[in-house]
This record gives sequence, C-alpha cells and structure tokens, in this order.
Amino acid sequence: MSTETTTVDAGTLADRKSEEPTFTEKFWKIFRGHPGALAGLVGIFIFLLLAIFAPLLAPQNPYDQMRLDILDGLLPPGSRLGDGTLSLLGTDALGRDILSAVLFGLRISMVVALVAVIIGSAIGIFMGLLAAMKGGWVETVVMRLVDLKMSFPGILLALMVLAVFGTGIDKVIIALIIGAWAAEARLVRGVAMSELKKEYIDSARLAGLSDTKIMWRYLFPNSISPVLVVLPMSISGAIGAEATLSFLGVGVPITEPSLGLLIANGNDYILSGKWWISIFPGLVLVTLVLCINVVADRLRDHSNPYLRGKD
Amino acid sequence: MTDNTLIKVENLTIEYPMADGEVFRAIDNFSMYVNRGQIVGVVGESGAGKSTIGKATLGLLDENAIIDTGSVFLEETMVSHLEEHHYAQVRGNRVGYIYQNPMTALNPVLTIGEQIVEAIEANTDLRGSDARNYAIDLLTQAEVPLPEERLDKYPHQLSGGLCQRIVFAIAISAKPDLIIADEPTTALDVTVQKAVLDTLVRLTRQENIAIILITHDMGVVAEMCDHVYVLRHGKLVESGPTEEVLQRPTQSYSRELMAAIPRIDHKIERFAVPGGLGQAGDRERAIAYLMDRKSDAGVEGQPLLQVRNLSKTFQTKATALKSASSFKAVSDVSFDVFPGETLGIVGESGSGKSTIGRMILGLHQPDEGHEIIYRGRNIADLTSRQDKLEHRKSLQCIFQDPYSSLNPRMTAGENITYPLTAHGLLDRSAARQLAGDLMELVGLPRASARKMPHAFSGGERQRIGIARALSFRPDFIFCDEPTSALDVTVQAQLLNLMKDLQDQLGLTLLFVSHDLAVVRQMCDRVMVMKAGEVVEAGPCDKVLVTPDAPYTQGLLDAMPKFSFAAAQ
Amino acid sequence: MLNFILKRLGQSAVLVLIMSALVFIGMYVVSDPVAVLAGEDFTDEDRAALARELGVDRPLVVQYLSFLGNISKGDFGTSFVYNRPVLELILERLPATLEVAFMAMFIGLVVGIPLGVYSGLNQKKPATKLTSFLTTVGYSVPNFWQGVLLIMLFAVWLQVLPASGRGDTTRLFSADWSLFNLDGLSHMILPALNLAIYTICLQTRLARSGTQEVMYQDYMTFARAKGISRDRLIRRHLVRNILIPIVTITGLQLGALIAFATVTETVFSWPGIGKLLLDSIHSSDRPVVVAYLILITLMFVTINFIVDVLYALLDPRIRYT
Repeated sequence: MSTETTTVDAGTLADRKSEEPTFTEKFWKIFRGHPGALAGLVGIFIFLLLAIFAPLLAPQNPYDQMRLDILDGLLPPGSRLGDGTLSLLGTDALGRDILSAVLFGLRISMVVALVAVIIGSAIGIFMGLLAAMKGGWVETVVMRLVDLKMSFPGILLALMVLAVFGTGIDKVIIALIIGAWAAEARLVRGVAMSELKKEYIDSARLAGLSDTKIMWRYLFPNSISPVLVVLPMSISGAIGAEATLSFLGVGVPITEPSLGLLIANGNDYILSGKWWISIFPGLVLVTLVLCINVVADRLRDHSNPYLRGKD
Repeated sequence: MTDNTLIKVENLTIEYPMADGEVFRAIDNFSMYVNRGQIVGVVGESGAGKSTIGKATLGLLDENAIIDTGSVFLEETMVSHLEEHHYAQVRGNRVGYIYQNPMTALNPVLTIGEQIVEAIEANTDLRGSDARNYAIDLLTQAEVPLPEERLDKYPHQLSGGLCQRIVFAIAISAKPDLIIADEPTTALDVTVQKAVLDTLVRLTRQENIAIILITHDMGVVAEMCDHVYVLRHGKLVESGPTEEVLQRPTQSYSRELMAAIPRIDHKIERFAVPGGLGQAGDRERAIAYLMDRKSDAGVEGQPLLQVRNLSKTFQTKATALKSASSFKAVSDVSFDVFPGETLGIVGESGSGKSTIGRMILGLHQPDEGHEIIYRGRNIADLTSRQDKLEHRKSLQCIFQDPYSSLNPRMTAGENITYPLTAHGLLDRSAARQLAGDLMELVGLPRASARKMPHAFSGGERQRIGIARALSFRPDFIFCDEPTSALDVTVQAQLLNLMKDLQDQLGLTLLFVSHDLAVVRQMCDRVMVMKAGEVVEAGPCDKVLVTPDAPYTQGLLDAMPKFSFAAAQ
Repeated sequence: MLNFILKRLGQSAVLVLIMSALVFIGMYVVSDPVAVLAGEDFTDEDRAALARELGVDRPLVVQYLSFLGNISKGDFGTSFVYNRPVLELILERLPATLEVAFMAMFIGLVVGIPLGVYSGLNQKKPATKLTSFLTTVGYSVPNFWQGVLLIMLFAVWLQVLPASGRGDTTRLFSADWSLFNLDGLSHMILPALNLAIYTICLQTRLARSGTQEVMYQDYMTFARAKGISRDRLIRRHLVRNILIPIVTITGLQLGALIAFATVTETVFSWPGIGKLLLDSIHSSDRPVVVAYLILITLMFVTINFIVDVLYALLDPRIRYT
C-alpha cells in the first residue's frame, strides 16, 4: 500500500453520503482501466462519422451507374481507374470503387440496424411494462407472443418474413424489429415484475396515483437500465443479422448494397483469387461489430453485481 | 497466555480496495483471544466488520481482501496466511463454520445426505455406509426428527430451523476445536431461535468445543457468551466478561448501544440515545402545515377505525408442476382503533400481521363478509373520486424496507411531494418548500431534499418515508415493521422520532412488529397473532406482563433475557 | 410430473397450430400465389383457371382445413422446381443438416464448457483474458464471413480441405451420411467448424458467467468451510448448478444451429435442408418453403418440449414442489 492511498473505515464511509455521480464520473467508472472498451468506443465514433460523411469522403458515387466503367472491373487495390482516380481498395466486377461502396454500405448497414433496434426496443419496453402493470389477459397475450417469437431463432423468423413479404430495406427493418422486440419485452417485464413488488410502488398506489402515472414515473425509469445495457448488443446483433440476410440475397436490394451484400458480391471471386472485393467490406463489418461488442461487454460486466469491483 | 488459548487474533487489519482507488478498512488493529471450550461473543452493528474476523480465520475472505497487519493463530498455526490447499486441515477438521442464512448455505441441487456425508468423508476416516450412519447419528444429536428420511431431501423441502440444525450437524461432524457461528439465528423466528441456540450450546458443551458467536443481538450474547468483544466500524470499542460489559459499559458507544435496546419489562418515555432535531423555524412551519387539516382527527372515545370479520385467503395459481392451492393468511379478525392511540400487532413471520394492515390500506382485497369502517363510513361505500382521494390521504403507511420503499429515480423531495403535485394539490415551489420543511421535521437537513435516495443511509431513508406519509396530513398511519431492517441504535432514534411526532400531531398508529419489546415501548394496546388468528388482545401492560395465552407466554420465554441494571 | 408433461404437450400442439396458420396466411393470403405463378401474358380467365387449379378460389377456412388435412397425411405437395414430392425432398436432405449440426454442437460443448469453467475460476489469468477476447471476436464475426474466411484459408491458400459439397457418403439407416468415411468427413470439417465457432463462444460465456455467479453463492463458501477438496467443490457443487442453464441453452441452441445451417450450407454448398430453403425462396418454390417452415416448427417445438422436461428433472427445486 502506498502512503498516498486514502484509507476509510465503515464510519466515515457511512458519513460520506455521495452526491449523484455526474455523467462524466459514471463514464470514467465504467471505462477506466479498460483500454479495449475505450478503443471500441472511439471506433464506434469514427464509424459513425464515416457513415454520416460518406458522400463527402467517397472518391466515387457507387450508385451512379453512368459513371461506372466496366473496363475498370476487378482492379486490385492501389490501381488507378480509367479517369485517373486512385482506387485504394480496388474495384469490383462492375468497376465500382470498393472504398466508396464500403463507405456507402456502412451507412446503410448502420441505419437499418439503428432504426430496427430503436423501434424494436421501444415496442419491447412498452409491451413489457404493459404486461407487468396490467397483468391478466394483456399479460397472457403479450407473453404468449413473446414465447412464440422466442421459440424460433431470429434468422429463421427473418427468412420467413422476407419469404412472405419479399425483399427491400423496409422489409429487412420489419424483419429485424420482429426479431428484436420480444427479448426486450421479456427482460423489461421481468424487471418490472420485481419492481412492482417493492414498497415504493405500494406508496404510489396509496397516494392514489393512476396506473399511467405509476407506469411512467415509477416503473419505467426503474425498469429500463437492463435494456440500455443490452442495447449495444442488440445493435451489433442487428447489423450482423442484416448483413447475413443481405449476404443470402434476401436483404437489401442490389441497387443499395449494404456491407453484407458487398461481401456476397465478392464471394464469387474468392476462388479466383480476387480477395479484395469480399475482404474489405468484411473487415469493416467485423471491426464495427467488434467495437460495439467490446463496449457492450464492458457495460454488461459493469452492471453485473458478481463482477463489479472484482476486475 | 496460558496453554489453554485456542485462537489468538493479534493486531489484525484487513482492507479492501474500492473502485475509486481508496481503501476500505473493514477491521482495524483488532486483537482477541479465545480459550478452549469458551463461548466468545463478537457484537456490533452493521458495518462493524464482525464477519470479516470469522472469514479470516478460515481463509474465506474475498479474493481482493488484503490482510495489512496482524494475524490469526489457531494454537501454533497461523491460519490467516495459509496456502489454499493447507486449509483442508483447518476447515471442517479443526474449525466448523455456521452461516447466517441456512437456506442459502446449503446447495439447492444436492441432497442433504450428500452434503453431510461429503463433510464427514472429508474430515474423518468414515466412508460409505459408516459415514451415512454417522450422518444419521449427527442429525439425531442435532434434534432433527426423522433423520433417515431427511437425508434424501433437498434443502428447499425443509424449514429454515431444520436447515440450520443440519448446518450444525455438518459443523460438528469432525468434532472441531472451534465453531464460528456468524449470526446463526438472525434468519429464524424468535421461538425457533431459542431452541436452535439451545441445541448449539448443548452440542458444543458436550465436546468442549469453543464458539465465536458473531451477532448484533445483545440478548443472545447475554444468554450465551462468557466473554464479549464490542466492535464499531472495524475497531474494538470494549471487551471483557459478558456481565461486566453489558452491565457496566465503560465506553460511551457501548452505553448508547445498551440504552438503545428496547426492553420488555417496562415502558420508558424515550430511548437515551442522541438524535438531532431539525431547524426550529422549518419544524414549526411543517407542524403548522400538518395541523391545518380539514378533517377531524376523530372523536374521543369513539373508534376511528373499526374492523369486523376480516379474512384473507391467498389463492396460488396452478403452475407447471403445482396444482392450485389456497392459504388462509388472516381469518376472522375484528378490532377497534381509537383516536390518538397506538395499537400493536405482534406475531412471527407468516402470522398475517402485515396482511391486516395492507387490507385496511386497500393494497390487498379482503375476502367477502368483512367490514372496515373508518371515521364512521364503510370504506366499501366510498365511490366518488373525491371521497376516495380524501380517504387515501387520511390513511398512510410507513413501510418496512428502507431500501425499496423510495423511488430510486426521484430525489428525496420528489419522493415526498410528487403525489401531491400530481394530484394538483400543490404547485412546484410550494412542493419544494413543503419537502424541505418536512425533511427538517424528521431530522434531516432541508438541502438534502435534492439528493437521490441512494445517498442516504437506511435510517435516513426511513425518515424520508415518514416525511412522505406525513405530507398527506394523515390521521392514521400503518407502521409495517418500520425498524426491523435497522441497527438497534438507529431503531431507537427512529422510535423516538415517531413518539415525538405522535405527541405533537395526535396521530393514530397501527404498529406491526415481530419484536415484543419494540411493541412494548411503542404501543398502548396489543394484539398477538398466530397463523392468521388473534391469540390474545389487550393493554400492553397486561398482555406482555401476565399473558393469558400459552402462546404469548412462549414468545415471552423465547426472548433472550437481558438484564438492564446498567442500561439506565 | 405427468400432469406437467401433458400440459406442455398441449401447449406445443397449440403452438404448432398457430405457426401453421401464420405460415398459411403468409404464403397463401398475404402474397397471392396466382400473382406469383401467373405469366405476364395471362388473361383474367387464365388467372381464374389457375386459381381453381391451386384451390385458392375456395373460402379461406376451407383452404386452411384442407391444407392441414394434407399436411397430417404427410402430403406437402410437389416441388415446382424438382417436380418431386416435397416431403421426400426434405427428408432426403435432412441427414446432411443433422450431422453437421450435431457435430458442431459436440465440438461446441466439449471445447466451450471446460474453457468457460476455467475462465470463471481463474478470472485474472492471461489465458482467461485471451479467451474472453477471442469469444468476443468470435461473436463479432458474422457466421457467413467466418465461412468465407475458412474457405479462403483452408481451401484457397493452404489447399488442405475442400471448399464445397458433401464428398462421398455412406448409406446407413436408409440415409446418406458423410460422417462415416474420410472423404465425406474432410468435406464436413469446415462447415462443422463454421457452425461450431459460435457455439463454442456461447458455451464458454455461459459456463463462465454461470461459474462466476455460483462461486459467490453462500453455499459455495459454506462448502469450502466444510473442508471438502477443491476438486469435489467444482465437480459436484459448481458443475451441478451451472449445468441447469447450460442444458436449457444447449437445447435451444440445437434449434438455432439447424436454422443457422441455412447460412453455412449456402457458403459451403452443403446440400442440406437450409440450402434447399434458400434455393426455394430464390426460385419461388412455394411448397418447399411451406413444408420446411412447418417441419422446422415441429422440430423446434419438440426440442423445446424435451428441454423443459429435462430442466424440471435437473432442478430439484422444480421437481419436488
């Protein structure tokens, strides 16, 4: 023990009633001493910037079919295109610059996942709260729906939805929402049920507050933290799921390729040694998901009482 | 030191690193000695570091704990600093351990038999059927009925008292020199407590086993221990032969601790413990607000609340593996509460005492055929919104668990006044003013109304809970074991506060507790409940002194005896 | 117990009925089969004739009942593409999917559980940190891209394992298996590994978090205080407790593996039912898609049922109440 370390006993600890920690304090508590998670956070930030500013950063508009030249097709990384532009990551069979395609693909992948998870979680939180609060037939219906959803792996359910409704960005988002809401609903209901047994809820009932007020002012703020903890995991899951669906050819349309579809396009050329078409979008996809997951892991470990302060 | 010394704790300091880089000192330069066959008590309130001592002796400290100075010797062996594999010769063999909660100390997925036999096989030469027969023998000694049958059961199939006896059997299986008993009866009801403790003493006296008894309960110490060490915040306050320390404490903390213990033999005005009051001006303003209620507080001599034929049957729904069943928590209870008095309801867990209060408050729906008449009106007849709200405001509750009775996502002030603003009875600035005044009234600084609940200790949270109940200007408050989760000195301060408030505001209280002594100090009349039925009712001076019912007498006998000669 | 089993069976039956209705509505109502099948030069009369031929001119309830009736007879119709009974087509390809899924599950359990228990017991060791990082990476690399990388590494660069197809098969129990001969097995390694990576990561994490949680329970401290050996502590007290969630997840995971096989089979051109499903979606081979969905529902419901019963058997707190 160094002499600078402050030592406290139970008495001073009890006297020292902490103020509510600020956001910055909370942030440091979670990420200090975890360079991996911090790097993940920085990575997410960079990917967000890349996605937002894709049109400014990309050397070429990959959607502009008129500007593509088939003669530029299948150029290896570092080649120059017909018009003299440097193609840092090479081109695909249509002569599309991979770097540009990846930047725009990143955009689509992120938007699809974020929209799906936000809507899905909102639905899940609402359904979970409602089931816990109302009980009776409302709860039965909601929970049977959750059971129904949970008996099937998400990928299969998404395939079913897409087999029925056809493909397209909106359909993929719907498929992902259907995949996302149930787990959140079950989680929120579980937490809300245990919160409902606590005495502060009784106190609210004794005060004659309406169910709506109890639900939003008492139950909601105390039941959502587990969902917030798993939110990054849901987002990375949705990015992966969208990529998988697009890779299988049932996701986003060929005109607006996401990372998954770009990988699929390059897949046919792997055996002929044209690795760059598939590898670069794949690397970006994996790095993005990895960044989100290390942050998600950190959040989850931090919220786990069995691990807190142990590492 | 004589050769008789079994355990020698010398200058022990144990620290835990905390998340923010500081170090928490759980035990600070603590020394103690235990002789063979001696029963030594280690007492203190929560956070005193009592359990840490027991764990250090067996090498069971959390991984991140640091033994900064000192050591624990078991005769010649320095047991605080062994390699993990060397503890095999100490744990079970020479030192047995008894855990606070028997229901969590036993592995839920293994049979009782396996858990006893593995301890026997680890620490003795007995194997197979010999070990099993010895297990049955041990259970018989620990007064477990039908020992052979119990071996094939799982822990959740047995009661807490039985589980604790099984834990005893495991602890004594190798005839150790010492048993460390960490709050061995805290999780048990008072009548079970006594029997279980008697068994423990008998078993250890037979084999001349020493006990380190870690507890917060002075009564248990007084009854059992030869010698006692009083701890506070990890430091030794006072030690000596039990009689001496309990009767003639020399340190102010020990004196305060003794004075805070509620006594059963007679009622005192206030507990002799320090407790601050708030700013005088704010207090007066709060009292003026509270006295300015429109409703009458009830007519002298007329009951404020009449309860007739109150019953409650809980239906459990059929689940995957269980068919539906019903359980009668309260059966046919009738009583009156008069304005300004305190009626106590006392009983063990599961006696239905809290359920009665919750039905009166409307948190549970009673069975058909009852009447609850409040201020002359049957509450079933209240139908208009206005009537219901007025009724709600007039009946309030102080809850049991300070850690769950406040909304963690609202400030202390919002917790107190949010319902009033939500009903449109107060505007925001008036609410802020009232919250501050009420905080001062219950002895908390008004500025702390802006803090979130987690910044307060258990006792302070209970004060906020009282302020919240008061904010409605109630006439009647149901107190649901309001101090059962608190340390004894904090309990004494809180009970003082409640007495003061009742005197000033003329409140009527229904006070539920499992602690006869607390009821004795707080209540005018008492109802004793057992399994949902009223066993006996009457003035405290009668029922808790010369009870008619054998059950009440049994409860009184089971209370640890504690002489208060010095506590005055 | 019997009561419980009967009840769960009833629930399973209801689930199958609901799913069959959803599939029916999805395939025959939401998307109009006539519109899908009709050529661009079809007249209204041609369309009406086609509707009659498909039976979609009848009331919905009648259609659904006849749909159910046919299914219960094992008649899922005829594939548009292969022109063969659908059931035959699926059963023929099922062994390929099953063997690769079970192989992956086996690898996942054998590697994942010991790794997870070790990590949970030794939280500070470098090996644990490495495991933890690798499982995060394993989670983060999408299944299909793992497949792509495996092909690139083992088939294109090292050229030690075949990239696609099933290789030679052995006929056993009137089905073809790759598992029982060397060529088939060499074809199976990459797809099985591809499916197993996720399972390994999942099982490792599950066993690790289970271990960490159980280690801090009172009964573990008490068991240590009894003086029993560390070996026994882990074998009986720890493993018995973490086994309960692991069994549950493993059962559900088997279903997930069969579902994820669609991706792996596509990447490795492994001729199982997953690849069949995707090919059929692409070629609008509706009867195959419907049959697949119904059969997979049945399979999942069965797995979930077995898991529930197993769970009840493993946990005495549920068994004896």
